[in-house]
Amino acid sequence: MIRSTRATVVLVALSCLGQVAPWRGASGQHATDARLARLDSTTRRVVAAVVDSARKTRLPTEPLIDKALEGAQKGADGGRIVTAVRGLYTELRSARAALGTGAATEEINAGANAIHAGLPMRTLSQLRSVSQHAGRARVTLPLTVYTDLIARGVPAAVASDVVLSLARAGLRNGDYAMFQRNVRLDIENGADAATAAQTRARGAALHNAGRL
Amino acid sequence: MRNIPERWIHRVASELRRPVRLDDEFDRGVMDAVRAMPRHRHRPWTRMLRARTITVSPMITGVAAALLLAVALSAGHFIGVLRANRATARVDVATDRSGGTKPGPRRSVQFVLVAPSARKVQVVGDFNDWDASHQEYVAQHRGGGVWAVTAAIPEGHHRYSFVVDDSLWVADPSAPRVLDDDYGMPNSAIVVGGGDAAQ
Repeated sequence: MIRSTRATVVLVALSCLGQVAPWRGASGQHATDARLARLDSTTRRVVAAVVDSARKTRLPTEPLIDKALEGAQKGADGGRIVTAVRGLYTELRSARAALGTGAATEEINAGANAIHAGLPMRTLSQLRSVSQHAGRARVTLPLTVYTDLIARGVPAAVASDVVLSLARAGLRNGDYAMFQRNVRLDIENGADAATAAQTRARGAALHNAGRL
Repeated sequence: MRNIPERWIHRVASELRRPVRLDDEFDRGVMDAVRAMPRHRHRPWTRMLRARTITVSPMITGVAAALLLAVALSAGHFIGVLRANRATARVDVATDRSGGTKPGPRRSVQFVLVAPSARKVQVVGDFNDWDASHQEYVAQHRGGGVWAVTAAIPEGHHRYSFVVDDSLWVADPSAPRVLDDDYGMPNSAIVVGGGDAAQ
């Protein structure tokens, strides 16, 4: 009787241990996103691994998948897609480090784009603190404006100063949109990109302060 | 030690082994004395707190240790799964706002492109998984070379582009640009909801 009880206990213990092992293995794995089926198998495996790393470090994974899908849609080869996805992963990490753990996904995404465009991490952190000081919760729009300025030929240092000055002035969403549109029109009409950005930034700050 | 004869020892022993007969009066007296003694009421917790000596074999100790280990691992795994689900859920909620054909708060956005010689204009971006086959993102010709489509876009920051005649990628001329040198084709950016969507 005693022997049979002990044997039962041993069996129960072994079965418990046996069940634990596969659980632990399964917890570290996630099914590959079905949308990645548009990639070839090698690229898909690498992209899935990067996405998995992002998930483990609690970075947004959707921008990485989007970057891969964008590459597939644009006909890029696997190597180029992997390079782009890995680069974005690094930029997302840097953006979150600069913005802080409380940053929203869209901010991290916009921050990664801005870093890709040349925004130093220090300026990104500065932009966050300046915006908070000015009573603005999110920095998505200023970062989008920064990236736009760079894409339109404004030097990185000038673009950083301009965006920081706009944030200090406490611009609202509509003001940012108007600033971006005015700079674009100025450049399209032949103005120097840096001059247009600086002039419009001064104007926006004065307008926001009610002095214009 | 005194030298006692063997037979005397046997006689004493047999005398001591002989059953002692007590009369009923003696038993009654003893039991009455016991009943008269104050009673100790043992509550369950008192019994549980009372120190005991338990004898356990090494095998049972090993099995108990194995069970304890299994329970600890299971608990750790369970907590890990819960935390992972929470993390995944958080990312998924964020995902709703940042791309794909996902649920989440959406706003109507009109995309307009002037392309007089175009035969077909589509909008592709992270909000539709960069998939040009979505019919709701195919622009309609409104006359005079103006193509437009209105679509419900999730709140958040998005990158997108126009695809003209299934081959030509064109950035939205009226929207902020994204420096996108990864694939060598231009993109535009849009912030739906003003970038103040709740996290």
